[in-house]
Amino acid sequence: MSGESESGGGRSARDALERLVGLSAVERLLISLAALVLAVLVGGVLILVSGRVATCQTAAATYFGVGFCYDPIQVYLVLFNGALGGLFALNDPALFNPNWNLFNFGLALTLKETTLLIFTGLSVAVAFRAGLFNIGTQGQLIIGALATGVTVFYASALVPASVVGGVLLITLGVTVGAVGGGLYGAIPGALKAYADANEVITTIMLNFIAARVAFVLVSEFFKNPDSQVVETTPIPDFGLLLPVSSVLPFGFPQGGDFSLIALLFGLVFVGALYYLIERTSFGYDLRTSGLQPDAAEYGGVDAKRTTVTSMALSGAIGGIGGAVWVLMVVGRWQTGVPAFGFDGITVSILAGNNPLGVIPAALLFGTLKSGSLAVQFQTGVPKQLVGVLRGLIILFVAMPEFFRLLGSRVVDFDTNEKTVTTDGGSVDDTGGDDDE
Amino acid sequence: MSTAVHLDGITKRFPGVVANDDVDLSVERGTVHALLGENGAGKTTLMNILYGLYQPTEGTIHIDGTARDFHSPRDAIDAGVGMIHQHFMLVDPMTITENIVLGNEPRKWLGLAVDSAQARTEVRELSNRYGFDVDPDAKIEDVSVGVQQRVEILKALYRGADVLILDEPTAVLTPQEVEELFDVFEELTEQGKTIIFISHKLGEVMEAADEVTVLRDGKNVGTVDTADTTREQLAELMVGREVLMEPESDYQEPGDTVLGVQALRAEDSRGVEAVTDANFAVREGEIFGIAGIDGNGQSELIECITGLKTPTTGHISYKGRDITNAPRKQRIDDGMAYIPEDRHERGLVMEFDLTQNGILGSQHSEPFAKGGRIDWNRVETHAQDIITEYDVRPPNKDADAESFSGGNQQKFIVGREFQRNPDLVVATHPTRGVDIGATNFIHDRLLDLRASGKAVVLVSSNLTEVQGLSDRLAVMHDGEIMDVVDPSTVTEEQIGLLMAGEHIDDAERATIAPDGGDR
Repeated sequence: MSGESESGGGRSARDALERLVGLSAVERLLISLAALVLAVLVGGVLILVSGRVATCQTAAATYFGVGFCYDPIQVYLVLFNGALGGLFALNDPALFNPNWNLFNFGLALTLKETTLLIFTGLSVAVAFRAGLFNIGTQGQLIIGALATGVTVFYASALVPASVVGGVLLITLGVTVGAVGGGLYGAIPGALKAYADANEVITTIMLNFIAARVAFVLVSEFFKNPDSQVVETTPIPDFGLLLPVSSVLPFGFPQGGDFSLIALLFGLVFVGALYYLIERTSFGYDLRTSGLQPDAAEYGGVDAKRTTVTSMALSGAIGGIGGAVWVLMVVGRWQTGVPAFGFDGITVSILAGNNPLGVIPAALLFGTLKSGSLAVQFQTGVPKQLVGVLRGLIILFVAMPEFFRLLGSRVVDFDTNEKTVTTDGGSVDDTGGDDDE
Repeated sequence: MSTAVHLDGITKRFPGVVANDDVDLSVERGTVHALLGENGAGKTTLMNILYGLYQPTEGTIHIDGTARDFHSPRDAIDAGVGMIHQHFMLVDPMTITENIVLGNEPRKWLGLAVDSAQARTEVRELSNRYGFDVDPDAKIEDVSVGVQQRVEILKALYRGADVLILDEPTAVLTPQEVEELFDVFEELTEQGKTIIFISHKLGEVMEAADEVTVLRDGKNVGTVDTADTTREQLAELMVGREVLMEPESDYQEPGDTVLGVQALRAEDSRGVEAVTDANFAVREGEIFGIAGIDGNGQSELIECITGLKTPTTGHISYKGRDITNAPRKQRIDDGMAYIPEDRHERGLVMEFDLTQNGILGSQHSEPFAKGGRIDWNRVETHAQDIITEYDVRPPNKDADAESFSGGNQQKFIVGREFQRNPDLVVATHPTRGVDIGATNFIHDRLLDLRASGKAVVLVSSNLTEVQGLSDRLAVMHDGEIMDVVDPSTVTEEQIGLLMAGEHIDDAERATIAPDGGDR
C-alpha cells in the first residue's frame, strides 16, 4: 500500500512540474505577482509575531485589542515607498508627498542596484541558456573590476581631462573589464570542455581565487599609497560615470552613486544580448547546446568551443558589471566587493533566464535593497528582520521559476527514461524507439 | 505444468503509435521463454507492462491463473514478478549483500538498525541454493558485469520473485559469461522459477529457451517450441514477408566513388568493439543498403561516417578527401545529409518550433545566415516549404517539435535533409513510424536522388525496404560486414542467415554477388 501511495504522490508531483513547465509568459507573470502577495502576507505575520515578542514604549499598531511593536502594513508601505524616495505621503490625508523630488536618494539607490544586477543577472542567464551553471559571476566581476580600476587609473594620466578624455576612459574601462571577466570566465569553460571538470565546482573555487589574487595584486602592486586599506588609487572624476547632476542643473544627487547613462547602457545591452541569443547563428548554437546537446552535436555545433565561448561571454558580462561598479559606484577597486554576482544567480532564475526578464527581476531586487534601508531608518524594525522580509519575497517569487527550471530537467529526464525502457534492441543506442 | 504468466489481448497505445497490438502470451511454470523481435517490435513495452511500469490500454494480466492489475512495479513484485533491466540498478560503492537487501533490509532493535549479520546469512543461503558463486562482501564496483547481473537476479529472488524477466541479458556479457548465465537459467527453472528473456539474437534463443514468441510491429506473429523450429524459420518470422511496395529501381551505371570506408573499426559507448574491419565504397547514382538486426554495429558505423563518432582505426574518404577526423560541421557543409536513427535526441530540438528546427545543421550557412545573423523570414519560408512538400501535419511551423507525432517529426527531418541538395545521403530507418503514403513518398525521393547521381547509404531493419531500394546490400552481424550481395537475386532466407551470423558457401555466393562487387 505504501508503494501505491508513493507512486501516486510521485505522479502528481510530476504532473505539477509538467504543468509548470508548460506555463505561458502571462501565467508566469501572474504567478510571480501572487507569490509577491503571499510573501507580503507571510512576512506580515512574522512582523506581527516579532512585534508581539519585542518590547517597546508605545505600540506601533493595535489589532484586535492587542498592541504590537511593529505595524506590518506600515513596514511594507515604507519598504516600497522608500524605494521610490517617498513618493506617497503615508500619514497625511494627501496621497502624494508634495515635497517629493524625482531625483532622490532612495530612487537613486534602487536604480544603482538595478543597473549592477542587470549585468550580473545577464551573465548568469547567458550561461544558463547554454546549459552551464555559472556560479562564478562574482569572481569574474572582481577580476573585471580590478582590470578596469587599474587600467583606467594609469590611462587617465595619458588623456586630456575633458569630456572627450572621459568618454575614452570609460569606453576603455568597460572594454578592459569585459576582457578581464571574459578571460576569467573562459577558464572554467575550458576546464569543462577539455578536462570534463564540472563548471559549478570550478567557478565556485575560482571565486575564492579571484578575491585572494585581486587582494594580493592590489596590496603588492597597485595599492593607493595614501590609503590605509587595500584599494587602488582613485580614478580622477572626469574618467567616471558621474550622475548627470554633475554637469546639468538637474539629475540624481551626487552621493547616490547612480548614473542614468549606465542604466541606459544596461538596457541597450539587454536588447543586444536578446538579439544575440534569439536571432543569430551563435545564439542558435548556444540555445541548442543548452537544450539538447546531442542535437547540437548532430547540427554541427562544436560543443567544446561553444562551452568556452559561452562561459567567456558570461564572464565578460560579469566583468562589465565590475567595470560599472568601479566607474559608477566606488571610483577605484577596493576589497570587499559586494555580492552582486551571487545576487545575479537569483535574478537570472527570477527572470526565467530570459535576458528581457532580467530587467524586472533586477528592479525588484533594487527596490527591496533600497526599500529595506528606508524601513531600517523610518521604523523600529531591526535590520535582521528586514533581511528576512527581503529574503521571503525573493524566495517566494523565485520558487515557481526555480521549480519550472527543475521541472524542465526532470520532465526531460523522464522522457529519456521512457526511451530507454522501451528500447527493445540496440545495446547503447536508445534509438527512436519509443514509437514502437 | 501450470501457466505462470498469461497475457490476454494486451494492447498498448502511445500517442500516435500502437506499441503492442492485441498480444497473447502464455508461459509455463519452470520454463525459459524467449521474446524475440527486432528493435521497435514492442518486446520491452510488453515486459514493462508485465512489470507494472506501464498500464495496458486493453487486455489483462494473469499470474498463476489469477487476473492481476499492476499499477507499479511494487504490485508486480508482490505478485512474484521481478525484472532485470538492461542497465543495472546497483549502487557501486556498496557490497553485494547491501545491494540485494536494499529496501527490504532485515531489521533489529525495533526496526531501528539493519541487521547486517542476518542479511549476510540470508544472501549466502540464497546464493548457495541456486548455485550462484558470489562473495556477499565484495563491492559492486569490484566485480565483473556477469556477477553484477547475478546480483540483480538475486535481488529479484530475495524479493520473492517466481517469474524473472530479463531485458537483453546477454548484451553486456562476454561469451563465457553468456554460457554461465544459461547455466543459471537451468538451475533456476529446475527449482521452479520461470524465466522470460528478451533477445534479438537467434543463436542464444535457440540455445537457452524452451519456447519462443516472436513479436513484429507490436503483434505476436507466432509462439513456437525451439525444438520444433530452425533459425531460418525464426528469422523469417522476425523480419516478416509482407511486401508493402515494389519500388521501380531502374539500374544505372554508378559513377565515381563518393564515400569510401577502409579497415574501419569503432567502439560503442562502453568501449566494446562494435564495428570490426568494415570496408566498402559507395558511388554516385547508387543506393548502398546496410541490413542487419539492430545493435550489430550499424549505428556506430554510421556515426563514424557522419562525424558523430571517431573510429578507433581505419579511414573514411568523402569526395576524394580523407574525412576520418573531420568535424561534423565540415561534413554538413560538404553536402552530407543525415537522417539520424534517434530523432528525439539528435534529429530535432524538441523545445524548438519547426521553424527553428528547419535550420538545424545549416544555422551558419547561406542563405539562412549571413555574417552571423539569421534571416528568420527566409527560415520561416523554408520550414513552410518542408511542411507543405512533405505533408507534415498539423501544418504549423510555430508549434514545438515535441508536439508532433513520431511520423510527422520524421517527415520533417527527411524533408530538411533532402532539401540540403546533398551529394551523399546517409539515411537510417528513414521510414520508421511513418505512414504508408509518406513511406512511398520518401522512397521515391531516395530513388530521385539516386537518379540525379547522388550517393545514398540506407540503413534499415525493414528488410523489404532495404532490399527493394538498394543496388548493393551489405549485411552486418556483430560488427562485421558478413557479405555484400545483389539484392535482386538474394533470397530473404539467405539474408536472414547472414543476419544471424552464418556465412553462405561459395557456390551459392557466386549467384548473389553484385556486379563488380568490389568488396
